[in-house]
Amino acid sequence: MVPRWLVQLLAVALKEIRHTVRDKRMMGILLLAPALQLGIFGFAVDFDVDRVPTVVVDHDQTQTSRLHVERVLADGTLVRRMTTTSDRAAEDALDSGEMSAALVVPAGFSRDLARGQAVHLQVVVDGTDPNRGAVAAAAVARYGRTETMRMIKEQLQKQKTAARVGPALDPLTTPQAMPSIPDVVMLPRVLHNPRLRTSMYMVPGIIALLLLIVTVIITSMGLARERETGTLEQVMVTPMSSIVLLVGKLLPYVAIGLFDFMLAIVVATRVFGVPIRGSFAVAVVGTGLYVVCTLGVGLLISTISRTQQQAFIGGFLFLLPTLLLSGVMTPLWGIPNWLLPISKIIPVKYYVEIIRGVLLRGSTLGDLTFHLAVLAAEGVLVLGFAAWRFQRSLG
Amino acid sequence: MTGPLNVIWYSINRVFAMAAKEFTHIRRDPQTLLMALVMPVALLLLFGFGVTFDLENLPVVVVDLDRTQVSRGVVQSFNASRDLVVSAQMQDPEAAIALTRKLEAVAVVVIPQDFSRKLARSERAELQLVVDGADASTAIQVINKADAVASSAIPIPPGTPVTGVPRIVVDTWTLYNPTGRSALLLVPGLMAYILAMVCVLLTALTVAREWERGSMEQLFTTPIRRGELIVGKLLPYVVLGFLAVLLVLSAGAWVFGVPIRGSLAALGLAAFLFLIGMLAQGLFVSVVTKNQMVATQVGTITSMLPVQLLSGFIFPVANMPKPLQVIAQVMPATHFIAALRGILLRGNGFAEQKLHLLALLAFAVFMVLVTAAKFRRRLD
Repeated sequence: MVPRWLVQLLAVALKEIRHTVRDKRMMGILLLAPALQLGIFGFAVDFDVDRVPTVVVDHDQTQTSRLHVERVLADGTLVRRMTTTSDRAAEDALDSGEMSAALVVPAGFSRDLARGQAVHLQVVVDGTDPNRGAVAAAAVARYGRTETMRMIKEQLQKQKTAARVGPALDPLTTPQAMPSIPDVVMLPRVLHNPRLRTSMYMVPGIIALLLLIVTVIITSMGLARERETGTLEQVMVTPMSSIVLLVGKLLPYVAIGLFDFMLAIVVATRVFGVPIRGSFAVAVVGTGLYVVCTLGVGLLISTISRTQQQAFIGGFLFLLPTLLLSGVMTPLWGIPNWLLPISKIIPVKYYVEIIRGVLLRGSTLGDLTFHLAVLAAEGVLVLGFAAWRFQRSLG
Repeated sequence: MTGPLNVIWYSINRVFAMAAKEFTHIRRDPQTLLMALVMPVALLLLFGFGVTFDLENLPVVVVDLDRTQVSRGVVQSFNASRDLVVSAQMQDPEAAIALTRKLEAVAVVVIPQDFSRKLARSERAELQLVVDGADASTAIQVINKADAVASSAIPIPPGTPVTGVPRIVVDTWTLYNPTGRSALLLVPGLMAYILAMVCVLLTALTVAREWERGSMEQLFTTPIRRGELIVGKLLPYVVLGFLAVLLVLSAGAWVFGVPIRGSLAALGLAAFLFLIGMLAQGLFVSVVTKNQMVATQVGTITSMLPVQLLSGFIFPVANMPKPLQVIAQVMPATHFIAALRGILLRGNGFAEQKLHLLALLAFAVFMVLVTAAKFRRRLD
């Protein structure tokens, strides 16, 4: 004998599926839009800093100055887009935002260099985007440092050679040909994403956002619509507990959420080359828990709001902070302490850390137990609260 | 008395009647007012603090295998920097790297065993930085910051020739934002983003609602033309939106110190054109879908993520592939953000921003016309 609640549950789920399937536009939005959007936005989320458009202002106009300019530009961080000898023209190009950096070689550069004096290279960066500015300035500063080191060594070597009496120096037979000076270098070893591509990190983030938007909007509007059209009253007269009704309404959407996730993963791995390094099962479980959370939030919004418009606004008011404070777009390391509690209750924060962990960092269950537990707890809490509100609104 | 002037006069009358009706709607609905005037400022305050690339106190684990006075000095100098914080010291590099997988550290600094010995022998000593590259933008900052700490950690020892050696000194000037605060970049973007959201929210449902409630039929019985209806519906929201712009700009200036260095007139014009474009876009969605449920989905899909991801708010447009750049160039938010940054930070005026202003104008005109054309005075 099948228990009564299970029959009821399936009946509600079936009704909800029929509702959804009948609306072709809605089906399209629910099933295909996320994968399609990922295919588009995945290409946009790239803030790698290179190819900074640069105006070169060479007041020296010698072979040496040209050589140094070429070598500064060689690593590709700065790209020459304009060459001028007029400071004014360079300033205008920076003002209009056309150029983001200016590399200025002062007059007398090669002469002073030949005399063994300190010469100045100027780099003027547009600080509007501080990251970009800092990276551009750092590239030139690095050049100055390594160049100086090289020249110091060259000088030392000349002194040594001059002091040595006898046959000419053969670099092959003298292992210590290059004199050494104490020097500290930092050797970075980059884990998980050796080419430091930002899109690797952002694509999983976008998956989280797309799932969120689809699920929150669909549930928050669905119930409000039933209330406005009056069908909710008909459901209310059926002998069903509100929790069965809620769960039945949610089931099809959990399935849709998981389907969307799978499709998005296919796009992420095939189109954007995102790896799956950790345990995929953890990601799927995480997605299930996450979708329950976001559906619960949508339901909660719809139990609070009377009209579709209120539900829409409620959905927005939940979505906006979630999009911006969950660490999906900007790192959470910079958030001030008083805002941290807000980002710590957002389920997206935990979900995005789960899928980034699984896909990029090779995380397994052990690394992510806490995250999964938080999602589960939030799902139960939000759904329970929504059910309670829902029951009250019925009574 | 049926000259062309009269026709225009009546037309204007009808537009204002429509606007007055919509004004009454807004006045009676405190939610709309709250949403248009309070929400943008509240969101700007919240996000202005929360959306930042200024990273401080990044946790770093140090594995000091050298354990000498020199290596401890290196650890000290890491701790002394405001940007990096030594969150733990360990002896096992692998255990330290495992911490990055739990997001408890962003990087591991390994000081090898022979570090101080090599320095004493005037050799090149290596520090190893193992950084979690998954978050590339944070990783780049960590590398740069650690590099700066490392190069200042060990002073150049005595005996190194200082005079008579050529050296290249790099002088850096940072324009417009000398302290390098990311708020100056992100707050203008946030302004545009929040305004775009509010605009679509305000209008996406107004026409769909009238269809669903049946009040559209009543509108059809009046002699109002569709162009007049569109303009009349937009007018009150443009006024409301402009108030929101002023509030948001003031909040940006006072709270986040975003300057207004350029031409106020250009700023006003850009905001005005942007508002019309975004409001008309919301109206367009509402007119086409006629259904609040679909209108919300389409409204959200066409505004929330595209504006956030394609407008240059966070991700630079120049980095995108060509087809996406085309989409970005069509969106008014892209031009509004560029204009805001130019006018507010770089002190631009009409001359530098004329292309962006033209693009905003073109979008606004196009959207109003398309909405009017799509609007059918028929009951299906």
